[in-house]
Formats: sequence, C-alpha cells, structure tokens
Amino acid sequence: MNSGTVKWQRNLFIASFIVPTLLFFGVFTIYPVAQGLYYSFFDWSGMSDKKTFVGFDNFVEMFHDPIIWRAIGNDYFLVAGKIVGIMLLATFFAVALTRFGFRLAGFFRSIFFIPNVISVVVIGVLWNFIYNPQIGFLNGFLSLFTKEQVTITWLGFPGHTIWMLLPPAIWAGIGFYMILLIAAIQSIPESYYEAASIEGAGQWKQFWSITVPLTWEQIKVSILNIMMTTLNGSFVIVWIMTEGGPDNSTQVMGSYLYQMAFRQYHFGYGAAIGFIILVLSLITTIVLQRLMRHDTVEMS
Amino acid sequence: MNIQLKHPVAKLVVSVILVLWGISVLYPLLWTLFDSLKNNEQFFMNAPWSLPELPLLWSNFSYVWSKYNFSTYFVNSLVITIGSTVLALLLSATTAYVLARYKFRGSNALFLLYISSMMVPFVLALIPLFFLMNSMGLINTKLGLIFVYTSSLLAFGIFVLVGFFKSLPKELEEAAIVDGASYYGTFFRVMLPLSQPGLITIGIVNILNIWNEYIVGTILINDPDQYTLPVEIGVMQAEMQYRTEWGPLFAALLITIVPVLIIYIIFQRQIASGITAGAVK
Repeated sequence: MNSGTVKWQRNLFIASFIVPTLLFFGVFTIYPVAQGLYYSFFDWSGMSDKKTFVGFDNFVEMFHDPIIWRAIGNDYFLVAGKIVGIMLLATFFAVALTRFGFRLAGFFRSIFFIPNVISVVVIGVLWNFIYNPQIGFLNGFLSLFTKEQVTITWLGFPGHTIWMLLPPAIWAGIGFYMILLIAAIQSIPESYYEAASIEGAGQWKQFWSITVPLTWEQIKVSILNIMMTTLNGSFVIVWIMTEGGPDNSTQVMGSYLYQMAFRQYHFGYGAAIGFIILVLSLITTIVLQRLMRHDTVEMS
Repeated sequence: MNIQLKHPVAKLVVSVILVLWGISVLYPLLWTLFDSLKNNEQFFMNAPWSLPELPLLWSNFSYVWSKYNFSTYFVNSLVITIGSTVLALLLSATTAYVLARYKFRGSNALFLLYISSMMVPFVLALIPLFFLMNSMGLINTKLGLIFVYTSSLLAFGIFVLVGFFKSLPKELEEAAIVDGASYYGTFFRVMLPLSQPGLITIGIVNILNIWNEYIVGTILINDPDQYTLPVEIGVMQAEMQYRTEWGPLFAALLITIVPVLIIYIIFQRQIASGITAGAVK
C-alpha cells in the first residue's frame, strides 16, 4: 500500500464520521436558526408566497408594542427571582448535605433531584392544581383558618400573577444545581477544612473562605445557566399555567413568540422576537460574566 | 471526616428545613397517586389532601389508557425517545471520536461550531422548523420529531464524548491498528465498548429530556394519533375547562411520571455524572 491510499483511507474514514452528523445538524439546527434570523425581516402570515421584505419594521413595531416590553420585564423578573431563589437554596442544600455530616445526606440528595426528572408540563399541571381557586391546595389550606371558604384566583391578578410562577420554577430547578454544587464541594480536599477548623474557623467562616471561593467556577456556571435557560426557552411553565394571561400580564418572550407565530400567524414578528431573545441572552451573558469575574478578583 | 454542626439547635433547624423540602418534593407525587383514584365528587366535596374513598378508582387508569388513547401516546413517546436517543448517540459518538483523535483542517472550528450552538436559543429555530418539516412531509410524523430531537441532542453529546475519548489511553488503539484492525474496526470493537460509561450517561440524560419534551412536540404534531405524552397532557389540561375529569388527569400525570422515576432510580449515578459533565463548559 502506498502512502497515497493510506491517506485517502484515513480521509475517507474521517469524512464518514463527520459528514452525516454535520449534515443532520446543518439541516435541522443551523439552517432553521439562520432562517429564523432571516424571517425576522419579513412580514409573513405563513403562506409561502406572501412574504414581504420589511427591513427593520418588525423591530420598530416591537419598540411600540407594550406587550413585548412587559414580556422582557417578566423574563428578567424570572431570571432574577430564579437566580436568587435557586442559588440560595441549592447552595444551602449542597453545603448541608456534604459538610454537616447528616447520616441521611445521600437519601435527601436523591429525593431533592426528583423534580428535575419530571416533565415541566406535569409540574405546571400540578402547580395549577395547587393554585386552583375551587379545589386547590392553597385555598384549602387557608380555609382552615377562616370562617368562609377562601376562593382566591391565584393566577388571575394581572399585577401579581408572574410572582405565582416563581415558586414552581424554583421548585423545579433546584435539584440540578444542587448536584452540580455538591460535586464541586466534594472535590475540595478535606485537609483544607481540617486546617481551618484547627485554626478555629467555624462553619460560617469556612463556607465563605473555602467553599465559596473554591466552587466559584460552578456557582458562575449555575447562574449563567439559569439565566440562559430562562431567557432561551423555558416558557413551558408560563404556557401551561397561564398561557401568558391574564391580559398578557405573564407573557415572557418565548411564550409571546409562540403566541404571535402559531396562534396569530405573525411569523415574521415571531421570528423577530426570537432575534431579540438571542441578542438579549448574549448581552446578559457578557454582562454577568464581567460582573462575576470582578467578584473573583476581589475575593482572592 | 465531616465536621459536625456544633450547635444542636443549628443542626435541628437545618434538619427541619431538609425534611420540609423533602416533603415538598415527595408529597406532590403521593397526592398525584391519591387524586388519580378519586372521582369528581371527591374533588369538589372533600379537602384537597383527603385520602381517596374506597373503593379506589383504579378504573381511572384504564379509562385514560383506552378512552384517552394513552396506550397510543405511550408507544409514540417510547418510539420517539428511543429512536432519537440511539440516533443521537451514534451520530455524536462518531464525530466526537474523530474530533478527539484526528487532526484535520477545520477540526477545531467544527468543535467550536457545535459548542457555541449550545448558546443559541432553540426557540429561534421553532418557526422555520415548522415550515421545514412541512415542506419535507415530516410534519405530524414520529420520524420528523426524531430528526429534530436528535439534532438538538448532538452538541451536548459531542461535547461530553470528546472529553471522554480524549481521556482514554491511546495505546489501545495503536495496539488494535498493529493487530491489523481497520479504522472502523478500531472504533466499533475497541473504542465504543470502552466508552460505554460515557454513552450510558449521555443516553440516560437524553432519554429524560426527550420523554419530557413539550414545545417542539406541540408545534410539529397536530394530529392526535401522533401526540407524545407531554403534548397530550397539555391538551388534556386545556380541555379541563369544559370537561372536568380530574381523576383521569392525575392518572395521566402518573403514567407520564412513572417511567422516568424508574429510570431515575436505576441510573441515579449516571444522571448525576451527566450533569456535572455537561455543565463544565
């Protein structure tokens, strides 16, 4: 065999392992994403021959659309609420289950992760039932303390309903980040903690001077991940629980995109919302990364 | 050795919080089971936390299974989940192996392309995907959903498996080549079996993701015969406004949850390592 055929064989092998995957990825991911960006410059009701190029009109229209501003506000409300709620609880659980010497730590860890393996649709339906005005848990519980039956429509207030979506989102998200942080804490050498406690540092001191700095990478990844998954498409809870209502008050960008495109057939406008989601999530990633890099410098 | 909490009060407080959170996770599952055995009257007359009355209405399950066609949706979900998981494993393992072991022009760029795609919001692709599948005749088909899901799983699989293949010793392949194995023989008979732990981890994480997926399913499937379980759950809960059948709804939830719970119980460790592998970007 001369070196020519050997090389040819090698290249053929590489191609046969690269091309099918890339073809698949190109057709079903890259091409649709690129088209999504392209469509955002068109006015289009879904009929293929009635696509009109409108330049930046969709974005200008969006600028004057109060619902999109509300949706962006809601998205960032959920991002902030989830980051605070999930990180506080996940960190607390991770520390409690690794550093406090509970005998049942492994058991709790397994239990706490369960919401993460359940479909978000199911979680939405379950929480709908908690909030249900007639037969729900929350009103049933409150009724124990009142003379009359409590019938609050928890998901019916235009002003506050977005707050009601935060508990299910936090409840459903914690396990994943807890596992991530537990793995990070377990990779810290035990001797660090031993040395610290010999020097008389308590749990609290140890947490701030050992655990936080040494798991900062994972904390950062977690915060970025919460932000990205929230902005990028976790609108299932919103969709299942309120469909963006009442009166569009709980609309987030993802659900508004879905509604505009697949309910009202403004596909161009929907695509433009997608474009905005991409831009905002990239900007937020950069900003958060800057902020958190600054923090590490201060700490070390 | 772990350092114990010094104050008994602190320890008690922490324990109580842990137990409360544990209850908040387990109780909804238990109450899903209880409620799946009730009739409408019990929902409206009794407290939400009341136990189901005897005789237990196991018939809710058979009702949902046959009347609501959950037998069909269950099979659809199963076929789609297995199909896309297997296809995604094959496509990502092959590419990951080459990216981990062979240098060629553009190999770094290709790796970066896959990795950076994980940053792009998938909602961006939803609208074009709908029309693409329509034009390919793949709308309302299991195959169409399998293709889209597979593609959405590739980046994660490639990312994790490249790391996995890189961690395997090179000597094994060299020995196989010396023994006269072809490139393909080396991959399928030596490397693939060795990477089994990595494949299982990714496979399990993928199975959970696909079994639970809702948005893409809702958009690409409008034909009730092709619904997956989550899609039907969404439809069913929307219908509850005019046709209240709470017991069957909870039975439906349980049918959807139980398979993933079983997988979780068996593969807990792999799932945990899948998470840690995927998150270290």
